[in-house]
Amino acid sequence: MNQTTPSVLQVARERRQPLGFSVGAYLRGMDWILLAATLALVTYGFFMLYSATHLSFPDNPFYYVRSQAIGLIIGLVFLISLSVANYKWFARWQMYIYGGGIILLILTLVVGTGGEDVGANRWLEYGSFRLQTAELVKFMLILAFGAVLTEGVELRGRFRFIVMCVIYMLIPGILIYLQPDLGTALVLAAVLVVMLVVWGIRLPHLGMVAGAALAAAVLALRVLPTVFGTSLLKDYQIRRLTLFLDPEKEPLHGGYQLIQSKIAVGSGMFSGKGYLQGAQHNLHFVPERHTDFIFAVIGEELGFLGGALLIGLFAIVVWRAFRIARMSRDIYGTLIAAGVAAVLVFQVFLNIGMTIGIMPVTGLPLPFISFGSSSLVVFLMAVGLLESIHVHSVAGEAK
Amino acid sequence: MILEPVKKKRPVEDDSFVGVRVGVLLLVAFFLFGVLAFRLWYLQILSGDSYTAEAMVNRERQVVVEAPRGVIYDRNGEVLVDNRAGLTVSLLPMDMPDPKEEPQKFYEEMVALAELLDVPLADLLDDYERAKNDPWVTRAVAEDVPEETVVAHLKENSEEFPGVMVEKTYLREYPNRALAAHVLGYVNEISGEDLDKEEFTGLKAGVHIGKDGVERVYDSYLRGTDGSKKVQVNAAGKPIETTADIPAEPGYNLVLTIDAKLQKSAEEAIQEGIRRAHGDGYTSAAGGAVVALDPRNGEILAMASYPNYDPSLWVGGMDPRIYRELNEPEANSPLVNRALNGLYPAGSTFKPFVASVALQAGVVTPDTIIDCGGTHKFGAQTWKDWTYPHGHGSMNLLSAIAQSCDVYFYRLGEMLYYEKGAVLQDGLRGFGFGQPTDVDLPGETQGSRVPDKDWKRKTGKTSGDQIWKTGDEINLAIGQGDLLVTPLQLAVALSAIANDSPLHSATVWVPHVALQITDSSGRIIRQFKPESRSGLEIDSEYLSKVRRGMRYVTTGNELGTAVDAFWGFPVAVAGKTGTAEKKPDDDYALFIGYAPADGNSEPEIVVVAIIEEGGHGSAVAAPVVRYVMETYFDQEHAYMNIRTSE
Repeated sequence: MNQTTPSVLQVARERRQPLGFSVGAYLRGMDWILLAATLALVTYGFFMLYSATHLSFPDNPFYYVRSQAIGLIIGLVFLISLSVANYKWFARWQMYIYGGGIILLILTLVVGTGGEDVGANRWLEYGSFRLQTAELVKFMLILAFGAVLTEGVELRGRFRFIVMCVIYMLIPGILIYLQPDLGTALVLAAVLVVMLVVWGIRLPHLGMVAGAALAAAVLALRVLPTVFGTSLLKDYQIRRLTLFLDPEKEPLHGGYQLIQSKIAVGSGMFSGKGYLQGAQHNLHFVPERHTDFIFAVIGEELGFLGGALLIGLFAIVVWRAFRIARMSRDIYGTLIAAGVAAVLVFQVFLNIGMTIGIMPVTGLPLPFISFGSSSLVVFLMAVGLLESIHVHSVAGEAK
Repeated sequence: MILEPVKKKRPVEDDSFVGVRVGVLLLVAFFLFGVLAFRLWYLQILSGDSYTAEAMVNRERQVVVEAPRGVIYDRNGEVLVDNRAGLTVSLLPMDMPDPKEEPQKFYEEMVALAELLDVPLADLLDDYERAKNDPWVTRAVAEDVPEETVVAHLKENSEEFPGVMVEKTYLREYPNRALAAHVLGYVNEISGEDLDKEEFTGLKAGVHIGKDGVERVYDSYLRGTDGSKKVQVNAAGKPIETTADIPAEPGYNLVLTIDAKLQKSAEEAIQEGIRRAHGDGYTSAAGGAVVALDPRNGEILAMASYPNYDPSLWVGGMDPRIYRELNEPEANSPLVNRALNGLYPAGSTFKPFVASVALQAGVVTPDTIIDCGGTHKFGAQTWKDWTYPHGHGSMNLLSAIAQSCDVYFYRLGEMLYYEKGAVLQDGLRGFGFGQPTDVDLPGETQGSRVPDKDWKRKTGKTSGDQIWKTGDEINLAIGQGDLLVTPLQLAVALSAIANDSPLHSATVWVPHVALQITDSSGRIIRQFKPESRSGLEIDSEYLSKVRRGMRYVTTGNELGTAVDAFWGFPVAVAGKTGTAEKKPDDDYALFIGYAPADGNSEPEIVVVAIIEEGGHGSAVAAPVVRYVMETYFDQEHAYMNIRTSE
């Protein structure tokens, strides 16, 4: 280790300062634009959730909204707590966070439940409390992997370190894939690549990682099924992944969702059919309209204007996240901010992309919008994390 | 502060380009969002219209509202064919489990449905295969299902039968059961063959059309126009509201020339005639036909053919087993309308027409006397009279008709043979023999014939068979030989003799069963007028002689052959008996007659009766005609009553 410039982690280990600034400095240090955009997204999401679900239980139109509101409250508490806390603490607990994440994933595989997806293991349930572990672990891994990369700053030239990094992310990735949750596994891959790039991976190394990934994909999809007769991807997964190219092939079953959501969005035209007026989804033509396909409701009822507004709000959040990555006084903050940004961009792109027919159906929720408390809480936590980095970098600058 | 150590100088490696890399990633992110926005613009602005149209199609189902077929009435307004509401079970494949994805669920449903509807599973699977091509359209699999059992079960267990619908339809109802079945015909699902016909353009598979009788001929009037209903449905296919409603236009009603009461009596009369034949020892008698015609306009008052069938067998789909049974030889062709498809030798009922032609040709006068010694010899051949070995003695035209003297007509045949040209054949064709009557009923036979020189040349197998000989003409003169006529032809020809009067000359009508087409409010859409055909050139003076001869058939003046049969009947009847030979069958009993035949009033009704293998016309067929005439003239069925009381 470099003697003259001790790493962030070393510093963090040496000093334990819970709050290094006053309330005023905290308020000045907050990224208000990020917070405003986040709250705007959450509010938008609540309105659309109501529209998508108010006819589901005629005598209780607020059923889903109320359930999501609990997630919002928990999420906001986490957001504020995390924004006050020092994000660098997480670097110190890297081993525990990573280990905890792996244990959570294994537990999910062993005792988890799948809800409406028979045969899947996605939730850990305890009483009425239900956690979609992959959502949480996704962020735990950003924190842990950021710490690994920070510690390995000196090892950028070493390919062995890169291999280690890939394995580090591959283990939870495989556990998530086994749930099966292909979407989140792919998000992890995106996080890995983005964080490595920000960290400063050498281009040849990046090329080798990409090549290895490609080779693995070919092996999994082509060689294994033909040579050994087994496939890592189940038939329905492959069909689901390729169906978006030609949904009319199976208009009644797999392709139905895709056709209907495209029709819903397309029929929204410029300004939409009006709030609560979307016939496609009100008449239940679009399945999973309150979870993965909620963008179909937005597109149908609020049209191009509503869709563009949503994408714009996401763009602001992502912009602020990358801005925070640049602002960060330390590489750890930069890495985890970039990781959060990667999750956001990738998930928004995959989710909206699948609703409008340019990406395969992967079953990823739309951040801040889709119904599901785990996802909402975790994304609010991530914003809290970003705020923490922002507060600390601004506060640091002020000194 | 925690960041202090790195504040002054970050490690070289992460300082220089990290900002650039983050910036590049931000640009990549914005590019991806741009792709989304562009795609959204493409979907919603550029092709939004077509998706809007699809969204409409999506949630709006067009439901066909079946038009009820027109009602069919008899000439007095009695309902012959009506409609009743029935329930049909159909499949909507889009709501059913996919046999590939959920085979167990699919087959469980199909097996349960097949059992419930009592249809073979294979048929049901066939229906599903066909229905699958149009998954948004229902396909009927069982019609006229009982409400209490099947429909109630389907409704109670609708969870187990996704995509199985119960729809209301109209079904044909026959208040008089089999009455006039051959005239009415039946209704059935349109065949693939019919779908290609121009007549049925615009019809879809599964539509019901008339298959026989007037249902078939006047199908375009009776069918009506299906309406449609636009229904907004949710994704489960449940209707939410009706958005547009084009009511079905019921088909026009059809009024027939048939008189239901007379029809019923004609059908009874055949059976009575068969019973009579059995009583006379003709035990093979099993079929027959009666035609009653109004000689003033060609309207068919009754047309009966026995054995018959129940057209309601087709309601709800014909059971293939029953259909096979109907076509077995033992069933004796119940589906054939013998009145226009039965081909028979006319036998002696042909004599009045031959006499008319002979008079017109001038080979005899009404007063020409021909001696009947019981046989007629020509060349090496000898023809016997039916009274052989007795003979009738001296015969003129009137007594020859009245007593049905064969020898007289053998002579006429021989004389006519030497006339220039086919005088007899041309004259007979003038009455309408040898060609279809063009009645407005489907499937009239094309096989009737008046044999002549040309016909023999074409069909004779050996060179000797190809020559029209004197003997052939002699046979024709008594309605035998190669002659084939239908009961309807006889009725039309007799009408021409009957309707000749000083006021208007003899008319060969194109017989018809349709009187009027009316709409539901009773307004007349089309009135069918009598149509006649030309070609009959017999002078009135000759026809009046023939009529007189026929009148004597039922009176005592000249020992007529049907005196017994019409004894005590208050209305004057003229007619002619016939006992036609058709080897190897037993003789066919025929009678043709009209009334009133007193010479002063215009004849109102012509009745032709034939009992297959029934024996003598005078003993079997003449009472059948009397029975029908008794009904027409509101008389008690005295003759039959006397007979049955014996």
